[in-house]
Amino acid sequence: MIASLLNMPLFWATLTIAGFVIGQHIYRLSGNNPFTQPVLLGLLLVVVVVELSGTSYHTYMQGGDYLHQMLGPVVVMLAVPMAEFMASMRRQWLRILLAVSLGSGATIVVAGGLTYWYLADSVVANTIMTKSVTTPVAVAIAEQVGGIPALSSAFVMITGLLGALMVPSILKLARITEPQAQGVALGVCAHAIGTARALELGQQQAAYSAMAMTLTGTLHAIILPLVL
Amino acid sequence: MAGLLILLLFLLSGTVLQQTLNLPLPASILGMILLLAFLLIRGKTPASLSQISKALSPLLPLFIIPVSVGIVTQKSLLAEHGLVLFIILTVSIVPGALVSAWIMKGGKSDL
Repeated sequence: MIASLLNMPLFWATLTIAGFVIGQHIYRLSGNNPFTQPVLLGLLLVVVVVELSGTSYHTYMQGGDYLHQMLGPVVVMLAVPMAEFMASMRRQWLRILLAVSLGSGATIVVAGGLTYWYLADSVVANTIMTKSVTTPVAVAIAEQVGGIPALSSAFVMITGLLGALMVPSILKLARITEPQAQGVALGVCAHAIGTARALELGQQQAAYSAMAMTLTGTLHAIILPLVL
Repeated sequence: MAGLLILLLFLLSGTVLQQTLNLPLPASILGMILLLAFLLIRGKTPASLSQISKALSPLLPLFIIPVSVGIVTQKSLLAEHGLVLFIILTVSIVPGALVSAWIMKGGKSDL
C-alpha cells in the first residue's frame, strides 16, 4: 500500500502542500520570525520524506511538477510590483539604479569569482551568480545559462538568511543608519527574506527593500543570461 | 480569473518570442518584460491583475519547493565543497551591502 502511494504523483504534490501549510503554522507560532520561513520548514519536511523513503527526485518531481509549473506565471507577475516601483522611484531613479546595479553586481562578481577560483567549475560559478534574486527568477536564469536549478535555489535561500542576519550588523559597523540605505542593502543582498527583516526595522526600510529586490531581480534576469 | 489569463497570455507570448527569435532570455522573463512594457504604456494596473497578484504572492514559496527538493541530487557536491561555498556566500554579502548602502546614504528617504 505504502509502496504504491510513494509512486503516486498526487501523493508528492499533496505532501509538498502539507509541508508548506505546516511551515506556515510554525512561522505564525514563531511570531513571523524571518528565520523560520514557511518554505524552509516545508522543504525540510519534503526532503526528509523523500530521503527516508528512498524515492528518486525524478519520481518526486512527477508530482512536484504540478506546483513547479506555476513558476512561469509567477515570474511574469513580478512586472506588477516593478511597474509600481518605477512610478514611485522617479525622483531619485539614478541613485537607486546605481546602488542596486553596483551593489548587486559587487556581491555576485565576488561570489562567482571566488567560486571559479576555488572550484574551476563554470557550472557552479554561473549558478552561484544567480544567488541575489528571488528563487523563481534565479531558477529561470540557472536553466537558461546551463547552471543547476536546485543548487541555485539553495544558494538563494542561504543568501537570504545570511543577508537578513548580517546586513544590519555590517551597516551598523559602517555607521550607516539612513533607512533608505538599510532598505536597499537588505533588498539587494537578501531579497524576500531581507525584506521581511527590513519590516522589523521600519516601514520605510521595507518599502526600499521590496523595491531594491524587485529591481535586482529584473536587472539580473536580463543581464546574466547575456553575459554568462 | 481575467488576471490569470493575462499572466498566461504574456507567458505564452514570451515563449513564442523566445522560440521564434531564439533569444537567450528565459521565456518567463520575456513575458515579464512584455507585461511591464504593457503596464507602463497603459499607466495603471488592471484590477484583475492586482487581484491575482495578491492571491498568488503568498503562494510563491510553495511553488519553489519542488525545484528546491532537487538539492538531494547534489549531495556529493555539497559534502565535498559545501563549507567553502557557504563561506563564499557569507563573504560576498559584505561588498554588496556596503556598496549599495553607501550609494543610497546621501539620498532622500521619501518612499
